[in-house]
Amino acid sequence: MAPVQEDHQSIAAAAEEAELLVRLRAGDERAFESLVEAYHGTMLAVARNYVKTRDVAEEVVQEAWLGVLKGLDRFEGRSSLKTWVLKILVNTALTRGGREARSVPFSSLAPAGEDEPAVEPERFRPPGEAFAGHWNGYPGDWSSRPEEGLLGRETIDVAKAAIETLPDAQRTVIAMRDVAGCSAEEVCDTLDVSEGNQRVLLHRARSHVRAALERHLDD
Amino acid sequence: MTELHSHDHVTCQEVVELVTDYFEGALPADQADLFEQHINFCEGCDWYVDEMRTTVAAVGRVKEEDVPDEMRERLLTAFRDWKRK
Repeated sequence: MAPVQEDHQSIAAAAEEAELLVRLRAGDERAFESLVEAYHGTMLAVARNYVKTRDVAEEVVQEAWLGVLKGLDRFEGRSSLKTWVLKILVNTALTRGGREARSVPFSSLAPAGEDEPAVEPERFRPPGEAFAGHWNGYPGDWSSRPEEGLLGRETIDVAKAAIETLPDAQRTVIAMRDVAGCSAEEVCDTLDVSEGNQRVLLHRARSHVRAALERHLDD
Repeated sequence: MTELHSHDHVTCQEVVELVTDYFEGALPADQADLFEQHINFCEGCDWYVDEMRTTVAAVGRVKEEDVPDEMRERLLTAFRDWKRK
């Protein structure tokens, strides 16, 4: 994407946000409700990264909104509204602490050196052979399939189920990026991970979902 | 992420690890060139990259969670209280 276009988008987004803030501060319930709706998926995904159960994650989201209301008059717009709301959410989840919090903080779940390959090594020619590292047999040509099947209800259910089996950090990143449509920057700011780690987590998550779709489609 | 073994060639096994960096525009120009050259000539990797695009599209169609009614009511009540202050 060209930087110029990004600029236009961010200017438009900033203008929209300024207007939203005016409406919120004026007590516009519809504005508040639409904001709660717009952020809910992202907030739930993030909260689930820090607490053990979905129920507790929902409580954390609700509590975070109360924190947002408390701070709304003091919000100065140094970050985007969304980033600010997500920060409050993470703090709410962290201070919740106690038996509901995960014992392992997010940063220690960030990828280390050892690699989980995107595709099983057996599917490539082994080192030392001619064409080492090239496919033994090609993956499927999904482009020859009708889109209804490829992006139909069943496939999407398989994708959803595959996301649920991911380790927390990977699930959170793919839910934020690909389900909720957050930017890489929003993920890095919210979860306090580097851009590189964000990409590694996204890559592993997408590769895992692709493998699940492949098993489903090749059946 | 993946160490490239030589500077004039990437293998299929390397391509599958570089896809996300490629989509994210995070590959250095020389590596992006090698990546594109590879998928231009390798049907298997071209299909693989297409599968990853389809995967992103499928995940993008997973429906986001709805706000539970009870939560919506509680938050709207909290908003009305906040407004009155």
